[in-house]
Amino acid sequence: MRIVVCSPQVPFARGGAELLAENLTAELRRRDHDVDLVTMPFRWYPGTRVLTGALLWRLADLEEADGRPIDLVIATKFPSYAVRHPNKVVWLVHQFRQAYELDGTELGQFGPDPVDRATRRSVHRLDEAVLGEARALFAISQNVADRLRRFNGLEAEVLPPPPQELDYRFEQNGRFVLSVGRLDRAKRVDLLLRAAAADTAFEIVVAGEGPDRDRLEGLARELGLDSRVRFAGRVDDDELARLYATCLAVYYAPVDEDFGFVPYEAFRSEKTVVTTRDAGGPLEIVSDRQTGVVCEPEPGAIAEAVSWLGAHPDEARAWARSGKELAERVTWDAVVDRLLSS
Amino acid sequence: MKVAYFSPMPPERTGIADYSGLLVPALRERVDLDIVRRGTRRLPRGTDVALYHVGNNPDAHGWIVGALRRNRGIVVLHDFVLHHLVAGLTFARGDKEGYLDAMQRDAGTVGRLIAHGVADGLLPPVWESRPQEFPLVHSVLDHADGVIVHSRYVEDEVRARGYPGPIWRIPMPTWPAPDVEPLRLPRDASVVIGCFGNLNPAKRLPQLLRAFAEVRRGHPEALLVIAGGISSRHELDLHVTESGLQLDESVIHLGYVEEDDIWPLLAACDVLVSLRFPTMGETSGSVIRTLAVGRPLVVSDVGWFSELPDSVAAKVPVDESEVDTLSAFLELLVSDPVLRARMGNAARELAVREHGLDHVVDRYVAALEEAAGRDAVRNALRSDLARAGVELGLDARSRELDELVASMRELDL
Repeated sequence: MRIVVCSPQVPFARGGAELLAENLTAELRRRDHDVDLVTMPFRWYPGTRVLTGALLWRLADLEEADGRPIDLVIATKFPSYAVRHPNKVVWLVHQFRQAYELDGTELGQFGPDPVDRATRRSVHRLDEAVLGEARALFAISQNVADRLRRFNGLEAEVLPPPPQELDYRFEQNGRFVLSVGRLDRAKRVDLLLRAAAADTAFEIVVAGEGPDRDRLEGLARELGLDSRVRFAGRVDDDELARLYATCLAVYYAPVDEDFGFVPYEAFRSEKTVVTTRDAGGPLEIVSDRQTGVVCEPEPGAIAEAVSWLGAHPDEARAWARSGKELAERVTWDAVVDRLLSS
Repeated sequence: MKVAYFSPMPPERTGIADYSGLLVPALRERVDLDIVRRGTRRLPRGTDVALYHVGNNPDAHGWIVGALRRNRGIVVLHDFVLHHLVAGLTFARGDKEGYLDAMQRDAGTVGRLIAHGVADGLLPPVWESRPQEFPLVHSVLDHADGVIVHSRYVEDEVRARGYPGPIWRIPMPTWPAPDVEPLRLPRDASVVIGCFGNLNPAKRLPQLLRAFAEVRRGHPEALLVIAGGISSRHELDLHVTESGLQLDESVIHLGYVEEDDIWPLLAACDVLVSLRFPTMGETSGSVIRTLAVGRPLVVSDVGWFSELPDSVAAKVPVDESEVDTLSAFLELLVSDPVLRARMGNAARELAVREHGLDHVVDRYVAALEEAAGRDAVRNALRSDLARAGVELGLDARSRELDELVASMRELDL
């Protein structure tokens, strides 16, 4: 089958969504499909630029390439799913969240003036039109599906993506808590830093890059954590697998995250996860005292959770193994079967 | 965002005043709402968008239509058929030409000729005989930048009239049903069937009475409570007697019910009947209240009423079997308390899910935000694209630009 996977690209930025599109492309190829990944640069500001981005995808002609038809288009993330194709399947990573639940928060984009308000509403209308026309609609998590139902009245089947392939293993319970992911405010690494300031018994390794790094490094200095926090930046696959294999636990507490590969990767390494009640997607696999700790989004609660895990390594390992069982059920075979058979 | 709000308001005794009385406090928490004083035609300073509530009553809405004609805005179309309104604003005020124009706009030369016939006394007044055939809705649609409707039925009718602007379908909000004791009725009964509202001929009272008489043969303790204004007590007496029933015995008429008594009265009923034909495209406040208190409904299978889910309402087609069908439905509901309870629960759930005030206010805010900035957003997008087109040397009539415009339309931009 000739398949095009669509994903937008923010130049110089790379995260879970990009990884998902690349992995999907690779997995489809492994199954002998003729597949290509199509991307287009996306800038969502200023003003109505967010809509222009969607319009560009709409104008992309993917019905055929080089005189031969394209059988299937799988679109992933706003605004790539605006693409027009008679056989369009959407595997929704996320919508333009600034127009939805982040509106009115410090992570929102649209102000109170009429043009901003109307632009936000246009994003809603557009989503309803282009997601509604898809032949099948999947969401990477219940959180994403719930948001789609709540705001747009559209139903999507939940189809979680498997994490990247790494040399997952358990080596030891080290002294450090590992934070993995892009460094932006929504990931709330600052909560972990403040937790470390409240409890001197553990160290932190922060793996990842992003626009919040300077602020976080400054905060670590301010809290006197210089010797206990290491900002490792972007690490390669081997280093990431090693960090997972040797940490005490993994911290992952973004604000209402859509999905999050990190808990799956932690569980595959038999490490438990500390998250918060408002983390969204991660709560679909991290259950309190079954596969990890789910606490209030406060430094004291996080410090207490880490301290407890340090003092109870057997329980922590048992929870992680329960998580591993769940994580291993999410496979590319299942994903590809569902996307192609829908 | 500042919204100029034109509507009858309590204590005016209209359904739309009640509606606004419910909506305004909640909407005011989300947008800067300026309630325009009755009779004012100017927009308040700094208005971003004007919202005009329009119904079929010229006394209540004449000034609002006047304001709309002066400043375009968003129209909340509470009735689709506005013949009474337009006739009241034209013909009744001596503006025969205005009425002729409205009829012509609606139905072309034939419409104008019929209007002439009415004006010359050769034909009966259309607003009394067949207003639904000449809704005269263009009189407001021509001035509307967008339309808010309460039903798919009205949305389809508006589109069928060629209205090109945005239409938002926003359900009627429910009043939060208070926890009240059922009203003590003058008579004890095994089952109470209620019929509320202004009892004009479209409410099909004779049909209801005949069907109820049939039901009462098997259920002599059943009671029919009719609440609402009637044009003639004598006429009601006549209909009741013709049906073989007896007023103040098997049928009770309570007249106009004050707001404080509506909920206890609804709570005292086991089944509510709301028949309608012809429909003017209206929704029914008493049906919405019935959903909120969780009682099963029997309605006519027309207009908005047809859109009620089968789980909450039995729908009676308006045909030669209407009375038989109605009595069969009533018989079923009177005999089966489990069915009544199931439909009542479904009604309560529907009221929360679709007609909850928060949900309705969300939809209003969305519509107002879209309306207030829609043109500016479109212009910004178009100038962005036009600049790119000019830089690429595209002609304004080129195929590529046509494609662009078509794509924008597909994305609702």
